[in-house]
Formats: sequence, structure tokens, C-alpha cells
Amino acid sequence: MNQLAATNLVPNNREDVMPNVDREASPVLSVKDLAVDFFADGKTIHAVRGVSFDLAPGRRLGVVGESGSGKTTTALALMRMIKAPGKIVSGRATVGGTDLFALPDRKMREARLNLVSYIPQGAMNSLNPVYRIEEQFFDAIIDHEGAQPKSILRERVAEALAGVDLPRSVMRLYPHELSGGMKQRVCIAIGMILTPKLIIADEPTSALDVITQRKVMATLDRVQKRIGAAMILIGHDIGLMAQSVDELMVMRNGVVEERGNIDRIFSAPEADYTRLLIDSVPSFEARPARLADAARDSAEDPALLDMTGIGKVYGKSFFSGGTTALHPLTLRLPSTRPSIVSVVGQSGSGKTTLGQIALGLLAPTTGSIAFDGKPLKDLSGRSERNFRRDVQAVFQDPYASFNPFYKVDHGFTVPLNELGIETDARTQRQMMSEACAQVGLNPALTLGRFPHELSGGQRQRLMVARALMLKPRLIVADEPVSMVDASQRASILGNIRALNESHGISVIYITHDLATAYQVSDFVIVLQQGRVVEAGAPQDVIGAPEHPYTRLLIDSIPWPDPNRPWASSGRLREDLDALSDAQKVPPVLHGLAGGVMLEVPE
Amino acid sequence: MAIADSVYERRSRLATTFSYLQRNPSLLFGGLLFFTLIGAALVAHVVYDTSLSQPLSVMPSQPPSAELPFGSDTQGRDLFASIARGTLLTLGIGLLAGSIGLTFGGALGFIAGFFGGWVDTVVKLFVDVLLTVPALLVLVIIASAVGELPPLGMALVIALLAWRRPARQIRAQVLILREAGFVKTARISGRGPFAIIFKEILPNLLPFLAASFTVAVSAAILASVGLEALGLGSQSVPTLGMTIFWMMNFSALMLGMWWWVLTPIAVLIILFVSLYLITAGLDELANPRLRRRA
Repeated sequence: MNQLAATNLVPNNREDVMPNVDREASPVLSVKDLAVDFFADGKTIHAVRGVSFDLAPGRRLGVVGESGSGKTTTALALMRMIKAPGKIVSGRATVGGTDLFALPDRKMREARLNLVSYIPQGAMNSLNPVYRIEEQFFDAIIDHEGAQPKSILRERVAEALAGVDLPRSVMRLYPHELSGGMKQRVCIAIGMILTPKLIIADEPTSALDVITQRKVMATLDRVQKRIGAAMILIGHDIGLMAQSVDELMVMRNGVVEERGNIDRIFSAPEADYTRLLIDSVPSFEARPARLADAARDSAEDPALLDMTGIGKVYGKSFFSGGTTALHPLTLRLPSTRPSIVSVVGQSGSGKTTLGQIALGLLAPTTGSIAFDGKPLKDLSGRSERNFRRDVQAVFQDPYASFNPFYKVDHGFTVPLNELGIETDARTQRQMMSEACAQVGLNPALTLGRFPHELSGGQRQRLMVARALMLKPRLIVADEPVSMVDASQRASILGNIRALNESHGISVIYITHDLATAYQVSDFVIVLQQGRVVEAGAPQDVIGAPEHPYTRLLIDSIPWPDPNRPWASSGRLREDLDALSDAQKVPPVLHGLAGGVMLEVPE
Repeated sequence: MAIADSVYERRSRLATTFSYLQRNPSLLFGGLLFFTLIGAALVAHVVYDTSLSQPLSVMPSQPPSAELPFGSDTQGRDLFASIARGTLLTLGIGLLAGSIGLTFGGALGFIAGFFGGWVDTVVKLFVDVLLTVPALLVLVIIASAVGELPPLGMALVIALLAWRRPARQIRAQVLILREAGFVKTARISGRGPFAIIFKEILPNLLPFLAASFTVAVSAAILASVGLEALGLGSQSVPTLGMTIFWMMNFSALMLGMWWWVLTPIAVLIILFVSLYLITAGLDELANPRLRRRA
């Protein structure tokens, strides 16, 4: 509460600091002094306070902030969808002259989708799995306009789908038959079908990889221009904001920290917090020198991890060839000095499969794997325990990684006991506290709690803390910072790097984020649909990519620089053509780097 | 850097349980009903002479009165004594058969679900084939071949087939949890397969197992009462099913002896309703989607 009170000192009324907002067009949305409170356990939490802004038709406002900053609450308030313990306590919001907060419930229901539409966070789960796509549109139209003949409805749906680049045939499909990006575009089409005056898109691409994100944002951009609606884009990725909005509003702890034209914010940020957000985006320019950069070594060094010709095929049987998740590859990590290997690629590229094989959790279909010279398949009893002590992991989904039955401490004490590292309870507690502090968690507020009492980011950091505490020789980290706020991401990666250097821990870093891969690693492997497309030192692979797929990945990263062209340019289509060609191009291998060796057998 | 000990002294499990029960009325009322019935039967054993449940103990065919609270049957059994003993006997059969069924079925389900592969294929085939066999038919054949079954024998006969459904249900739950991230965390933490089953997966299935148990107990009670009502149980040990058998045999309704009809049926209804409420309550506990917020 004290923290909230302190941030209140920041002036809320920022009319004076935003001179060049489009003033000629009369605003379609006008919000004045919006405040939302949540009442829980006899306490009042001010989730949003004193938010005021205007938005002209056709303009886009970006709202950024970390989790808990009140950005989604602001959007939900405009839809009047704040649920029970929360309440809009003051403020006015008008859309095209209609006072949203004064509407009776029935009128408000009509206004949703018609006047204000909302594209939810994680649209993949927003479609009803038991209805065809067309039926999800029919619901929306009939509810607002009354019954209509099916033929007319179908025509309108086809038109809406065409507007988001989807073929007519999609309307007869069920949601599970579509990819994540397609589902997201269906949600956009539903949001647009009644040509609303205001569109609120809540992290519409947070679950998508960079290439799909770029396609979806291009679609959203085109559709919005066509119907001329104003748009509020909510997100935490400041790079995406730079590429897609006209104005930016930075929120923190429920108040607006800064608001202004996107160019002005990036060229001359006023609030320290805005500067922190912009600076926290890893760039390709300044790459810290690594010990491993110094010398190139031979492949003759004894290997820490030796994966020879490993590949994975699922569902192979007498009748079908199965699905190849990973085509055979040979990867060798040196034991003479610790290295960080990044594995990057879109979802479905086989990067997680590679990690699971390295951990010994998944048996490869072809090839063999050995750790410290001992084949994994021969491990048992004592040697298996030693292997577990040496090879640890941070799993992708932090929500599932802790047993919900126990307090989070269980995740720390079990390996300490089972692997025979430390059995004294007092020392264990000491080790846990230190590990938590290392990843920026307050041990008193995190240990002794149940997993469901902690946020995704907190759990993710605990998983990192757990792996670091065990001081293994190899950590397989699968998207270890995907749910951590941008400002802390860099520090956790820095931590992993520091441990790599001081304790000699090798790391296999699995990610879709090329920028962080460039920053931390000695060797980068780019995977596309289970095949290696490019591999080598980060300066070569990311700094000077040769394979068209790697180039496409790098071009699809939204840069925190409003002047650098991205999705809106006509290049997208050419790039996508390049993607289909990319599969025919042979892999580009830049050779040994940091003692890491990768080969692709013919 | 040491953690304050107060972190570890959060609300006790007991207080948490109590506050949870207030939000889960099914579990609360079901539990109250169940334990009141058992408590009443136990108290009756202490304060009342339950040996009067033997034939020719009291004046036959008497309506309820001060001496005979539930009246008596045509063979001179004190129905209050019969019902008091019958409640515990029938419940005992249900608990025994239910526990055997759940233990055996649960073990099979855990083994099949966790290890998968050919073990799973064999167990699944075995269970699926047996699931098609109508239980009552098999039980009638066995019971009639054995002759009069004492309560213990009755429990064992019912347990013969009571494990099929738990095996299938628990296998499905284990299949889901086996893929959970925390199982992977446990594997890289050095836990062996049995430690994972018992210390990681099992605790998460406790509410589910409790619900399965109450379902298994109700099913076993139903089966035992059915067999006894058909005359396949013991005709001298006063289970609730035996009372119903004699009641039907002597056409109690035609004789106007309503008390003989009503009492065993009322006890069975209370028993089933309480078990149903407990199951529904445990289902809510096990299924977060149904769970009400604090």
C-alpha cells in the first residue's frame, strides 16, 4: 500500500506534457479520471487511478506496463467487464458520444462488439471448441441485429474472414483445426464484424512466435484502417509498441507514468520508468565480450555432452512413417570450459524435443547420447543419481513445474535430499534463501508458500533458483524468462551467465527470442520444423545470417525504434515466400565456436 | 538472510479445513448425516440390548411403542436391535468391499497409467473385457453356488468385481498427471518411479481417491443389499438386506406392518444420500472448476 501511495506523487493529469497528440479530429473515445478499486480481505486495492485520455478515430494508443500495472483492468473497465470484488469507483468514458458508465446493463450488452469490441488475451482459448467458426460469428450478429437468413450470414462471415486473409473454407472448420495465428485472426474478424468505433486488443500476439506475430499485427493494422476505428493495444513488449501504435501510455501500479506521441517517447522519454522499459530490450549492437570468444578450439576436446546423430520420430509404426520432431543432428559441448548454447526457432521447431533428449527424459529414436563419456542408456542407480546432479533443467511451463500439493520448498528440498547434496534442514533453508535472493525474489515472501499463491513470473524465477542452487554442470533452460517482466529478464539472464563463468555451468538455452540468444550465448542453433537451418557463433548466425529463414526470423523482431520499418511494409509477403523456399535451402553451418561442435549427417 | 519462522506458521491445516467446509455445504451436510447415523448405531449398541435381534426374542408383530421403538417382526425380532446391528453390518460390508476394490483397482490403475506401454495394454484389455460382464449376474451365480453367505463372504464376493471401475478411472487420472511438469521436476530431482507415484502423484489424487472410495462403498452396499434381498445372503445375521428379505417374504405391507417396511428403507436412504453428498462435496474439492472461491 505504501508503494502505491508513493507513486501517487507522480502527477496524473498529463495534458500539459503531450503537445503533439492529434487534436484536429474530434475524439471517438474520451476517458476522464477513471479509477477502479478491488476490495479484498477488508482492504481496498487501487488497481487503476486517475487515468484520462482521448483517442481520435483511426488512431492507435498503446498501453504498456508490467503485470499488475492496471493495463488490462483499464481495458476491462471500458467494456464494463470488471468482476465482483472490483468496481469502477469514479470517472467517465464516452465512445462516440455514448457515456459507457451511464448505460443500463442491457444497453451496455448491445454496445459491446457494436460500439466497443475486445480482442482478448490468449484468443486461442476464447473460441468455443464445440462450434464451427461460422457459428461463433452467427451468435454475435444475431444477438445484436436479430435473426437473418443463413445465406446472408454466411456471406458476411466470408467477407469478414477475407478481411483477415483467411479462406472461405475456414468457416466450416472447428477451432482445433486452426493454428494459433489463424485462431487469433478469427478473433480479430469476430471483433470487427459489427464495425465498432473502438477496438481493444489485449496482448493479441503474446502467445505467438515472431513470424506469426508479424502476420497477425499486419492483419490487425489493415482491418483497423478499413473500418476506421480507434484502437487500444495493450502489451508488455515495448518493441511491438514502437512498431504498431501512434501514441503510447506507460502504466505502473495503476497510474499513468507517461503518455505521448510514440516518436517523442522513444526519442526523449520523460519518466525514468519508460527509459528503463526501453533500455531493457536487448539489442544486437552491444554484445558483452565472452571469455569463449577469445580462442577457437579444436573438436578434439573431451565432450561434456555428446549427442551423436540424435533424432526423434513420433508415432512411427508399421503403417505410417510417423511425425519427425527432430531430424538427426550431432552436437558436442566441451568439458574443458563451460559454454552457453542457444537453440532458437518457432513453436514446433523441435527445440523442446532437443532439450528433453539432452535431459534424458526422452529417448531419441536414432543416435546415442553420452554425458561425461558415459552413455545415458547405461545409467542406473548411483550413476543415474550423479547424472541428475550434474544435469538440471528449467522447464517451459512454470505453472506446472511445482507440485500443487506441496509448498514450493518441496521443489528445493527434494533434489537436495534425493541427490544427497545436503540433508540438514537448517542448511537447506539457508541455501534456498540464497538461491531466491540470487534471482531477485524475497525469500520471506516466496518460500513457505503454495505454488498457486505465486505468479507465473515468480514461479519461473523459483525454477531458475532451484537449478542454480544445485550447481550442476549443465542446465537445460527452456524459455526460462518468458513470463518474467522485461526489467527483470536481463538480470536473470545475467545471473545465468555469471554462474556460467564463475561456477563453470554449461547451459543449453532454448528460446524464440533471438536478441537474448545473441546476448548470452557462445553458439546458436536455429531450428525450423525439426531441421537445423543455421548454426555457429552468434556473431555469424545472428550478426550476419546467411540462411533465408534466419533472416526472416531476425527481420520479424519488432524493434524498439519507431522509424525502423516492420510489418506494415509490403515486404511481408515476399518474406513469407522466402519462408516456403527456405526449406529447400541446405543448412548453413559456420563451424566450431566456443568449443561447441554441430554437424548434420546427410 | 534466514527466513523468518513466522512464514512457516501460516494458518493450520485444521483451520483451513474448517473454513473450507463452510464453503462446501454438500461435504459438511453429507458428513454430518453419515456420522450421525453411525454414531446413533454405535450408541444403540451400548445402551440397548442388541441380542434382541435374534428371532423369538420379543413379542412378534408389535407396532412401535415405548419398549419396542421400531416395533417387531413376525418372527419376534426386535427391529430396533436389528436395524442398529444391520446398519453397522451393511456399512461394514460396503467399507470392506469398497476398500479392497479401490486398493486393488487403484494399484492396477497406477501401474498401468504410470508405466504405460505393454503393461498398460494388458491391464486395459483385462479391465475392459471384465467391464462388459454384468456384475449382478456373476454375483448371483457365485452366491447361489456358495449358498448362504455370511457378511464377510458377501464382502469378498462383491470385492471380486468392485475393482474394475476404480482401475479405469484412476488410470485416466494418472495418465494426465504423469505428463505434468512437476513429475518431470521430480524426475530430474532424482525421484524414482515409486517415490513419484506415492509422493508426487498420489497426494494430488487424494480428493479424487476419496470420492472414488465413497462411490465404491455405495455401489458395494447396493450390491450386498440386492443380493441379500434376493435371499442369497445370510438369513440369520441381521444385515439391512436380511431384514428386507424377511419383510418381503412375509408380505409385511399386506399385513399392514408399515414399521417393518419403513425402518430399513429409511436407514438405506439416509446412508445413500449422505454418501452421495460426500461424493459431490469431494468432487468439488477435487475439481477446481466447481470449486467456489474464498
